[in-house]
Amino acid sequence: MADPWVVVVESRGPAEGGQVSPHLSNPQKTHTKQTMRRQSLTMFANATRSLLGAGKHLRVPLSIRSLSSPSQLNAPETKAAPQANPTSAPEATATSERLGALGENARLPRSVQAVYLRPLRRKAEYGLPVCDLQLRSYSVENVEFFADFAIRAAYYLDLPVSGPVPLPRIVERWTVPRSNFVHKKSQENFERITLRRLIQIKDGNPQAVQAWLAFLRKHAFYGVGMKANVWEHESLDVSKSMDQSAPEIQKSLEPHLAQFGQRKDNSAGNNIFDILDSDRFAERKNV
Amino acid sequence: MSKMASMFRPKKLDLSGFVNTRLIRDHNKRNAFEQTEPERQALRYMIRNTSLPQRVRAQAQLQLSQMHAYTRPTQIKNRCVASGTARAVFRDFRINRFQFRMQALAGELPGVKKASW
Amino acid sequence: MSRTRILDLVKTQCRIFSLNFNPQRLRLGNKILRQRLRGPALSAWYPKKTVSFRDLQNTYKPLGLTTFDEAEDDREEAIQIAKLRGKGRPKKKRTAAESKSAKKKR
Repeated sequence: MADPWVVVVESRGPAEGGQVSPHLSNPQKTHTKQTMRRQSLTMFANATRSLLGAGKHLRVPLSIRSLSSPSQLNAPETKAAPQANPTSAPEATATSERLGALGENARLPRSVQAVYLRPLRRKAEYGLPVCDLQLRSYSVENVEFFADFAIRAAYYLDLPVSGPVPLPRIVERWTVPRSNFVHKKSQENFERITLRRLIQIKDGNPQAVQAWLAFLRKHAFYGVGMKANVWEHESLDVSKSMDQSAPEIQKSLEPHLAQFGQRKDNSAGNNIFDILDSDRFAERKNV
Repeated sequence: MSKMASMFRPKKLDLSGFVNTRLIRDHNKRNAFEQTEPERQALRYMIRNTSLPQRVRAQAQLQLSQMHAYTRPTQIKNRCVASGTARAVFRDFRINRFQFRMQALAGELPGVKKASW
Repeated sequence: MSRTRILDLVKTQCRIFSLNFNPQRLRLGNKILRQRLRGPALSAWYPKKTVSFRDLQNTYKPLGLTTFDEAEDDREEAIQIAKLRGKGRPKKKRTAAESKSAKKKR
């Protein structure tokens, strides 16, 4: 379970010495973000570089360098560094400074950096729809988060994605009397709003699509339902390929089909009355 | 054997949650219908099939009408799972309107909120 | 195209897709066979029996483990109190005569 290369980045803003490149999205937004970070990390276990060899959780201000221009960071850093942790103990300041310096020198893995940016996408070559995934939930955060997660997962599986398309909400309303008996004049309204997002996979490999769906099912998010329509395409000479695969299928079915039919040694002379009169049958009948 | 309703009663109660006599009775009817449904459908098919001899169709009619009342789908009534009430039961939640209100206010029904518009 | 040719076509189509070929539009009751069975859905309306505390008790007792069912204890205590106050359940009438005499007294 313990993954030594998981790095929890917690930026506390410039006042405490950490700094975030301005065009990155705010990394301390939600708790859910972190869960997702871990997911994307799992996919890139071999590609990641650890900031601290043994440290599992690095809870210090860390700078995240932008993908393109590291020089941008240096300007705000010099201003922010002197004000770092004015109230905390000197030891803590020293550690944080040391680690902060480390963070400046070492770069986060690209896959982790990507988490702070908009999801990456593959480009569809033909635009042939292969799979429609519909996500449903009663809460916006859940469905939005999971749609984002699904798109990132599709990127790493090399699947071109379109979406998430917000489909019309399903609003159900009920009006019930407040009391358990009569008094129709006093009623109460209830509603349930189902939010939907559609994610479409385009011209992907069917096996990759299956892997993607399985991955999403494995990491299913609470309160989010999934429904997928998968289309598979065949080349024009389907019948030929079916003929080719037929003997193989027949062979695999043989052990099952061998169970059917009559035994040859059994059919010798036995008619139905022999069976009915036999002791064994009579015993069974009485039971 | 006469037509006893007791023949549809299981030896051991296979329900959990709220239980009362009428609810159990309805459950028995549902089970009876499930067991005899293929037979009923076969008879119904014979009755509707005009290519069969008139005599066969009449016999099928008689047999169908002589099946036990508990095997009839019209006997089934949706009852509230939480209180056994037979009126104002929501199909979506399988509960009565009042149970619905109580559970919705308690937050036990996912996504159901008080509405105002 | 002639009518017979079209009929032949429809007939072949019905044979391939295993449909009923019925050019005279007779009432063959086929729609009954097309209906799906409603029984499984109907009989799943009420929640099925799940594991109760008593089941746990029954499994643990042979192992020499003790269990405490507070609700059951409370119930038994209430019955005891009711009995002491003379408000317990009446005795079961086993024979017809007993039940008759009870009625007469009233």
